[in-house]
Amino acid sequence: MLEKIKELICNYVEVNENDITEDSRFIEDLGFNSYDFISMLGDLEEEFGVTIDETEIIDVHTVGEAVKYLTDLKEQ
Amino acid sequence: MKEININGAIMKCYPLCAAQRLHYYTIKFCPTQVLCIGTGLYVKQDVDFELLKKAVYKGYEMFETMRLRFVPDEDGTVYQYISPFEERDVPFRDFSNWKEEDAHNEMRKWTAIPFERYNSPMNKVVMIKLPGGYSGLYLKVDHMTMDSSSIIGFNKAVLETYCALKYGTEMPTPMQSYIKQLEKDLAYEAGSPARKKDEEYWKNVISESEPMYTDFAGQGRLLTQRRENNNPDQRCAMIISKSPVASISVYPLEKDSSMRLMKFCELYNVPMASLLLMGLRTVLSKFNDNEKDVSVKTCIARRGTLSEKYSGGTRIHFFPMRTVMEPEMTFLDGVKMIQAEQNKIFRHANFDPIEVNRKRAEHWKNTPGTSYESIALTYQPLSLKKNTKEMPDIPYKSFWYTNGVAGQPLYLTVMHRPEDNGLNFNFEYRVDAVSEYEMQYFYYYLCRVLFRGIEDETRTIGEILDMI
Repeated sequence: MLEKIKELICNYVEVNENDITEDSRFIEDLGFNSYDFISMLGDLEEEFGVTIDETEIIDVHTVGEAVKYLTDLKEQ
Repeated sequence: MKEININGAIMKCYPLCAAQRLHYYTIKFCPTQVLCIGTGLYVKQDVDFELLKKAVYKGYEMFETMRLRFVPDEDGTVYQYISPFEERDVPFRDFSNWKEEDAHNEMRKWTAIPFERYNSPMNKVVMIKLPGGYSGLYLKVDHMTMDSSSIIGFNKAVLETYCALKYGTEMPTPMQSYIKQLEKDLAYEAGSPARKKDEEYWKNVISESEPMYTDFAGQGRLLTQRRENNNPDQRCAMIISKSPVASISVYPLEKDSSMRLMKFCELYNVPMASLLLMGLRTVLSKFNDNEKDVSVKTCIARRGTLSEKYSGGTRIHFFPMRTVMEPEMTFLDGVKMIQAEQNKIFRHANFDPIEVNRKRAEHWKNTPGTSYESIALTYQPLSLKKNTKEMPDIPYKSFWYTNGVAGQPLYLTVMHRPEDNGLNFNFEYRVDAVSEYEMQYFYYYLCRVLFRGIEDETRTIGEILDMI
């Protein structure tokens, strides 16, 4: 899942895939703005077959947190 | 897509997308409207104008939307196409012996002159020499071809190309296809499942309950219209004017104060646009008898993916952002509520904003030309600044020139200054709706709300309204 998320991130911001870690923060480290981040939710939903609530995702700040959030969502 | 014979050549022509139709209808129904945006970017350096001209040509080549033109078909429906690259003249204008203010006024006049609408270039670049050792570019574009993100992208690309030619630095990031993005937008509009989902969202938002109009100049407009229409319960107001004549007032917020706003956003993980919207809605509340139900038009740039960011064009959609806040709510909770609301709008921002307005007017049986929003806000996070080692500390000046007319009574654009990253508040207002003095007054209150809010985020809205 992490690899796929990294790949998707690179469609949104100019960052080297190898520089993305679980600790990378979307806004401060990767250069996302709030629109980029919310736009990416559609891709994540399609990729992982989940429905994301944008009010819950507001607390996801790092790539690792996104992996955990999506993993939990898939298991529900 | 359809093929149209243009001056003997068969061109692939595409319908207008929703963002373009918004502008097109503006000029169709208000012929005195002008869709031009003018900008100036100047650096304090001896510019090699021959090299700069080459950089501009490279920009024309890279940016498909600098070559975008319009054509009506036999039924009068407007289409767009990309004309082949051509080396159009890039004139030079020496203002170095002028007063600087007069030079900018002259460029404001250029910006008020509309382009030929069909089969003609929709932009103009002039190389400029200003007094005080500043030189650079004046750029005028038609809003149906480019928005502020595209303009900033073009100016940056030209500057980066100039540096590459002069100092051997890297060339700018290659652009993505505009047509490919347009095709995506048109496919979305042609009855896609995503559009159906968005339509459902907006239908629910509209039918929830009727918003309340709040004016930046107080309750006068709504109260007068209620009396005139003999309808004491009227909640919307007519905002269309016979005279679209507009002026622009720019209020620069000091670098340190701007930094305080940015630090607040960083500390609480909230976007600057949400903070600004919170400020605006609170001032509107103050000016309208502490009204709890306040709506503002918010601008969505719709550039998430790199393909969207690097495709040029005009992609902005405006949507109503409604906020209903009790006086007991804290400032920070208010900002977070707006952030959550904005996120919802972001997810449904591809929907045609004209459709949203039409559906809302139909639902609440409103007269055409009425609205619940007196202000539109754009926050532009991009800056014109070029960061290169070769031009590190060179003073910059950037300007946005008004075209002299406006459809919205008040349009606030907040953007970062290239020279120090501080915020400029650009108020473009219809002169029949508000005076420059009232604009200053509004800005003063906006700052008071913002700084009262960020200095103690637990302060309630009611406390802030009492303090200011």
